[in-house]
Amino acid sequence: MALALVAPLVVAGCDIDPPPRDDPSADQAPPPPEDSELVIAVVAALVRARSVLEAATLAVPDLTPLLEPVATAHTAHLGVLAGAVADADLPAPAPARIAARRDRALAAVRRSEQRLLDEVRRGCVAAASGDLARVLASMAASTAQHGTALAGPQSGREGP
Amino acid sequence: MTVLDALQATLADEHAALYTYGVLGARTSQAASPALYETLTAGYRRHRARRDELQLMVRDAGGDPVAAEPAYDLDGSLLRPAQLERAAADLEAASVEQLLALVAQSTGSVREWALTEATWSAVRRLTLGEGPETWPGAPELERP
Repeated sequence: MALALVAPLVVAGCDIDPPPRDDPSADQAPPPPEDSELVIAVVAALVRARSVLEAATLAVPDLTPLLEPVATAHTAHLGVLAGAVADADLPAPAPARIAARRDRALAAVRRSEQRLLDEVRRGCVAAASGDLARVLASMAASTAQHGTALAGPQSGREGP
Repeated sequence: MTVLDALQATLADEHAALYTYGVLGARTSQAASPALYETLTAGYRRHRARRDELQLMVRDAGGDPVAAEPAYDLDGSLLRPAQLERAAADLEAASVEQLLALVAQSTGSVREWALTEATWSAVRRLTLGEGPETWPGAPELERP
């Protein structure tokens, strides 16, 4: 499998200082091979979560302003990880089926985001690469923030 | 940097955070700003527990826990509730960054603990008026 992880994720070595901003392509090195499986699992979870968001937005367009920031974060997270996964390994999730009711659609999104968070946490703890673990920890923190925001008062309006 | 070094750096950061939370709490009126007072108190308690756990982890790693400084620099002009809330939010952002460094440098239960605490601090920022982020604790991953 091609493991050309992009940008800061691949900065070599164990130095925990943030990688330089000006030349992110410098010092690229693949993560340990044992991390391949977990990266694929996290990418699959991200793709699945994004498909649920898309389905929820289609089912309840009113949710778009609430869900758009979550989708933007997923896209950014995929942008960092997807380069590590060969095209053949990129999952094609089954289309999510979401009821056209706001409360049910939101509940489905929350469940989906929680599954994603669980997967990202698993990957973070299991990663052989410390740099990859750091990236996944930031993704987990972001996912938790968005999940909390989805449970906030703005999301609470009932009805279809 | 070793795991012990990263633990010590995180502990030093927690000493400063605890001091800062104490000052922010002291500048907050429980009567006039009860919600903020409660939020800062909860933050203080969490960071105190975090400091205590870190001291144990440092000892488990064979180290002598780094001591707190007598005092830390803090902006004396922070007096309004909004300023205090923002200062606490900034403190939590710095904590996320430090804890992510510990995640990178550790494995197993220490990494899992750091991940949990980093997530807590990131989510805490929402309570302190901030919005969700794409790369909390890893600003270099943000793309323009």
